[in-house]
Amino acid sequence: MAACSRGLDKIVTSLRFCRKLQHQNERVFSTSACRPAADSDPPKFVPPSKPVIVDKTQTVASMRKFLSPEFVPPRQRTDPFKFFLERKDMIRRRKMLNIPEFYVGSILAVTMADPNASGKTNRFVGICIQRGGKGLGATFILRNIVNSQGVEICYELYSPRIQKIEVLKLEKRLDDNLMYLRDALPEYSTVDPEMKPVPFSPTGEVPLNQIKVKMRPKPWSKRWERPKFNIQGIRFDLCMTPRQIEGAQKHAQPWLEYDMLKEYDTTKLEEQILKEVQQDLSK
Amino acid sequence: MRLTLQMLISHGRVARKMGLGPESRINMLRNILTGLVRHERIETTQARADEVRFYAEKLIDYAKKGDTDEKAMKMANFWLTEKDLVPKLFKVLAPRYENQSTGYTRMARIPNRENLDRAKMAVLEYKGNPFPPLYPVRKENELTLINQLLKGYREERARIPNIGTP
Repeated sequence: MAACSRGLDKIVTSLRFCRKLQHQNERVFSTSACRPAADSDPPKFVPPSKPVIVDKTQTVASMRKFLSPEFVPPRQRTDPFKFFLERKDMIRRRKMLNIPEFYVGSILAVTMADPNASGKTNRFVGICIQRGGKGLGATFILRNIVNSQGVEICYELYSPRIQKIEVLKLEKRLDDNLMYLRDALPEYSTVDPEMKPVPFSPTGEVPLNQIKVKMRPKPWSKRWERPKFNIQGIRFDLCMTPRQIEGAQKHAQPWLEYDMLKEYDTTKLEEQILKEVQQDLSK
Repeated sequence: MRLTLQMLISHGRVARKMGLGPESRINMLRNILTGLVRHERIETTQARADEVRFYAEKLIDYAKKGDTDEKAMKMANFWLTEKDLVPKLFKVLAPRYENQSTGYTRMARIPNRENLDRAKMAVLEYKGNPFPPLYPVRKENELTLINQLLKGYREERARIPNIGTP
């Protein structure tokens, strides 16, 4: 260590000498012809190129194919060109901000720009209970219980205020809509704000959490036992008598599953849009 | 219940209200569809024929998937109340429309009903049915002057292919 410090001293003094010479030269002739002569200036430190980690174990084919639900347009009479333009704008925003793959039931942390907060950003961690909207207005609601007060925040995915979306835990639940967590016991909606991200792999199936939630005593905000909500994730046997469960089944509409007018098959559309989106994102 | 304006405004609603409610509407459409599959040409009110038309075409699309398909069999079982028509649907109607992708039915208006209500009536039929056609086919008369001249022209062109060209 002492040896290198001595060497450094010599280099530093010689550098200072060279720099003085350079400055004198510049004062006498201020032309750029001097520049090449002043190569005694140490060359600018060029860091070695970062190693590009290409994970050869996972081919493109084995990666999980996921198309965010807001890309699929609803069944409407509007011109498909409108959805095409909207998709272009959505892809432009996605190139700036990485919006990861997540499902209802995953735990997310969102940092948003806030002029009134200290540090100009605020961070919220919560469980995603609903993904609504299509196109640029797509939203997702995060729920958490903070200081024994339930808080739900509805974020717009493509809002310019959002600075970062991290998925702390990627998982799916038995339902597409977890609004019943409002009437469930608070332990099912609490998420630790300092939670460490749980690693997940980009290949293979998303883990399905088969948890069945215990509810608070009735009345609930909505009659979740009715078949129109089609909820699989509640323990009805603990909170309702068999007679009540039967009474709720009376509101079933068995003809709905055979009603061909209500069917909307999106498989072909999804494939086409997925190809388009992947092509545009890789450009 | 939260009474939203969405419930009162019917913009973009495709399904008509019929009968005593949604269940009654589906039951009525089921009966009409069963009659259509049995007789292949029925006359009803225009509104009912228009509603059944969509379901009739979708039923043929399901039947095209084949009777080994579970979903197709469940649909056919639900929509056809007379169960002896289920094999007719899969074995007669589905093969008939193998080469077409849409447009298996035809609807035509007929004079209003004779009752006091004077309801608009329509005839709904599956194409390719054995009855005489709904719209009479007009045959061109070959003995008119223009048709005879055209026939002569065609025969001359067939006899001497390059006549008239330099």
